[in-house]
Amino acid sequence: MSDELIEKVKQMIIDSLRIEGMSPDEIDADAPLFGEGLGLDSIDALQLVVAMEKEFGVVVPDAATGSTVFASVRSMAGYIGEHQK
Amino acid sequence: MICWMYPGQPIAFTDTYSNDPEFQKIALLCQGTTGFNPMESGTSASSLTQSVRLQLHGVCVSLYRSGQLMSQGRGPDLIAEHSMGIYAALAASGSIDSGAALALTCRIGVAMAGMGLHRDYALGCVIGLTSGPLADIAANHGIYLANHNTSRHFLLAGEREKVEAALAEATASGAFSVSIFSCDAPLHTPLIETIAGELRRIVAEYRFSAPRIPLVEHIGQTPLTAAAIPAFLVDELCRPVYWETTYRTLRSRGVTRFQEVGAGSALAKFNRWIDSET
Repeated sequence: MSDELIEKVKQMIIDSLRIEGMSPDEIDADAPLFGEGLGLDSIDALQLVVAMEKEFGVVVPDAATGSTVFASVRSMAGYIGEHQK
Repeated sequence: MICWMYPGQPIAFTDTYSNDPEFQKIALLCQGTTGFNPMESGTSASSLTQSVRLQLHGVCVSLYRSGQLMSQGRGPDLIAEHSMGIYAALAASGSIDSGAALALTCRIGVAMAGMGLHRDYALGCVIGLTSGPLADIAANHGIYLANHNTSRHFLLAGEREKVEAALAEATASGAFSVSIFSCDAPLHTPLIETIAGELRRIVAEYRFSAPRIPLVEHIGQTPLTAAAIPAFLVDELCRPVYWETTYRTLRSRGVTRFQEVGAGSALAKFNRWIDSET
């Protein structure tokens, strides 16, 4: 996957979750998004599902898939890369 | 126009400020009023149930955060509340003092805990379905939609086995995620009416002043008057929380900034979702 896609995913996270005062550079592409990492929760997950569909046309159908996809920025970018038409 | 929002019971002990003397004062007030010290959280020797301790913990954090914000000179134009956030909201509005808010939280919590002695209740969180299909699922299993937080975020309440069955059906129907939480009583459902008399007797022992800052309630989105508060405190436990409607109403009345005053950021996240659909 490209660095450009990873940067786009980081920006999408910041924009869709309205994370104030954070730049894409401050998000580690391999850090966990939930729990210890950015501390996201299931409300955030659905917001990311909608944002991914809107921005990349990629669907995350359920939480089981989401738990893998949203493991990190890199896994999100990987999923987008595989499923984007 | 600025609105302070008071969230309901947190699901875990978080955001403790035990090194801050102002939080310590509130913790001591809580201990003196209820026997529970929020600085000891889960390990407190209090005989109160976990749900009541979480409710008190949430109110303590909200009272502390209110004081912090007030000391910075950032008072609100309006106050809104969600579920058990009403007690701290009443204190912030000037209707009751902090001690009364803690005592009410504890006594109402203990009354509800009595329901849990006879049946096992739970709350089910469903994310991803809309209200129509979820209302059908709730009805199928004899439970209730207790919180309408956003178009895609709801809480169900009822007997645990029924909630578990409803969550399984919600998952099969395409819910993005479901989760279950233990609780003493089926909050925000008509089932609470079985203890309404006891709740009324508790509430009747307190005197409520007219809120100095308008306090908008989550059922009909009206500003509470002193006379309306006692009935609301019982009614709100028997009826659902309509957060999305409350948020949209406040927006339409000119609120431009919302500040969550309590543990966590659930209400801000609900608002973010609602805004994304507007």
